[in-house]
Amino acid sequence: MLLGYTITQWLFGILSFLSIMFGLMVVFSRNPVNSVLYLVLTFFCIAGHYLLLNAQFLAVVHIVVYAGAIMVLFLFVIMLMDLNHDNEPQKTWLTKIIAGIAGGMLLCVLVGSLKGSEQLGISQYGSSQIGMVKNLGKVLFSEFLFPFEIASILLLAALVGSIMIGKKEIK
Amino acid sequence: MKGLLIISGLGILAMLAEIFKFKKLLFPMVLLGIVAAYAFNFMEWKTGMSIPYFDNMIGFDKLAIAFSGIIIATAFFWFILANDYFEEETSLVDHFALVLFALVGALMLTSFKNMTTLFLGVEIMSIPLYVLAASKKKDIKSNEAGFKYLIMGSFASGFLLFGIALIYGATGSFDLMQIRSFISEHGADMPLFFYVGVVFMLIAMCFKVSAAPFHFWAPDVYQGSPTLITALMSTVVKTAAFAAFMRLFMVGFAEISSVWTGILAGVVALSLIIANFSAAMQNNVKRILAYSSISHAAFMLMVILANVRSNLSVNALIYYSLAYSLGSIAAFGIVYNVTKKGNENVDAFNGLAKRNPSLALCMAVAMLSLAGIPITSGFFAKYFVFTAMIGTQYKWLLIIAVLTSAVGVYYYLRVVIAMYFKKQDTHEPIAIERSNIIVIVLTTAATIAIGIVPGIVAEMFEF
Repeated sequence: MLLGYTITQWLFGILSFLSIMFGLMVVFSRNPVNSVLYLVLTFFCIAGHYLLLNAQFLAVVHIVVYAGAIMVLFLFVIMLMDLNHDNEPQKTWLTKIIAGIAGGMLLCVLVGSLKGSEQLGISQYGSSQIGMVKNLGKVLFSEFLFPFEIASILLLAALVGSIMIGKKEIK
Repeated sequence: MKGLLIISGLGILAMLAEIFKFKKLLFPMVLLGIVAAYAFNFMEWKTGMSIPYFDNMIGFDKLAIAFSGIIIATAFFWFILANDYFEEETSLVDHFALVLFALVGALMLTSFKNMTTLFLGVEIMSIPLYVLAASKKKDIKSNEAGFKYLIMGSFASGFLLFGIALIYGATGSFDLMQIRSFISEHGADMPLFFYVGVVFMLIAMCFKVSAAPFHFWAPDVYQGSPTLITALMSTVVKTAAFAAFMRLFMVGFAEISSVWTGILAGVVALSLIIANFSAAMQNNVKRILAYSSISHAAFMLMVILANVRSNLSVNALIYYSLAYSLGSIAAFGIVYNVTKKGNENVDAFNGLAKRNPSLALCMAVAMLSLAGIPITSGFFAKYFVFTAMIGTQYKWLLIIAVLTSAVGVYYYLRVVIAMYFKKQDTHEPIAIERSNIIVIVLTTAATIAIGIVPGIVAEMFEF
């Protein structure tokens, strides 16, 4: 107990602050490589949140897939295509204002809708242990078997598609 | 369900064709497989039982079977139409596999019972289409179409997922029926973020059916994609998206219809006005058909808006989907053959009546059907929508619909006038495959047939 808050609450506060700050840095930094690196940090903070929510599997997958594989891909693309310049195209004031209003409205809707949800006393659904690898596996292979299997069609389609786009046309 | 499995198997078989060298056999095999899928689908309709599969993840009730039937039949016609297109392509096998996978997604959308199946269905249907839209790699327009579709589609998927997450947060379930019973139990005490979730899902679905103001991708994607892929988008994809829309909002969220009908009414009004007036200003036939598909989407949304929980609205939507799919297949089949030279403007049709009278006649019938002129099925499609709408509080939409339909007649008839009254630039006869002729004539005949006896389709549902 520190200043009346438990350690979990402290961790939650720190992680939330860091993830929002790094998220803002992703948008505000002018150099694409910096943006990507901040994105990695954001992902780590979110993985921390998953751990706090007792979802170990999700946290590990998040780090391995997002912070690992996808971010490396991003960096590769930026470096290979030599996008590492600060020459972001200037947007007009009108676009900036419209984008600001649209984003702000979405934020208002989301904050407004989530505000006050804690008084509703929605009971906790499911078990709190669902995030463990063992339980997740059980659910995935019993209740969610069909989505799990049909996802293979999705991956197959994506694979075939990427090969088709990338393949050289033989005439 | 068997149809879904057969088509998934066909997609995988198509990929094996490259390895085991039976590319020549692939086309008849796919056609045969689609016929088999249709037959099994029909048999499930005859038994009339709705068995949920896999812990109620997916289930083929009568509604799902009817929509699946339309989708499979359209896909059959589409494959015959695409016969020579596939021969030209070097990556034939990939095309086959992608189209079949898109069909799997479409069938899942007709029959989902769970939000996870809905999301996977949307993705399985969309991802092959992003690639197919960009499949003319040397054509910058096609690249643009694929890229635009991918970016906008991913955005819509984001909204869909966020909506599902919020609804899960409020109700604690992904299951459509459980969500429905949760809503009817708790009534007015649903948290605010639940309604935001519903609106997010509405936005995502409106994007998928290309209703204004979420339609900006449609004209560019329809124009840039290869014509036959556009045909696939405006028939199979549209029907599947509407089947999903209908199930989601008329089954899942029917109890809170006061939340979403107001927004939907606005969407319908905007779609009708924007689509018809923009179409009247276009010169490119594919763009005209794209805007026309937006205005047809508005009509189909009206059925969902009317929300008459009886066989009336179900029949109206099924009839509309069928009439629109048939008309579109015929129209795009002809556009594909006429615009092979590269000119996609209305003047490509100049004097078609002299160059190929039967083709011109079929195009005229297709255009009249899309415009909704009597004896073609398009008229009854609109008529059923109006009868569903007349009992609701949104009668003002009918006035907009009738007025904008009048604008619609103008741009559909522009093509007809070009065919019959404009001088032709060339006397070259149009080279057209026999298989294409068969499809075009069959779909045109069907358009007139179900227009003369609409009862065959419109009285399918008797609850």
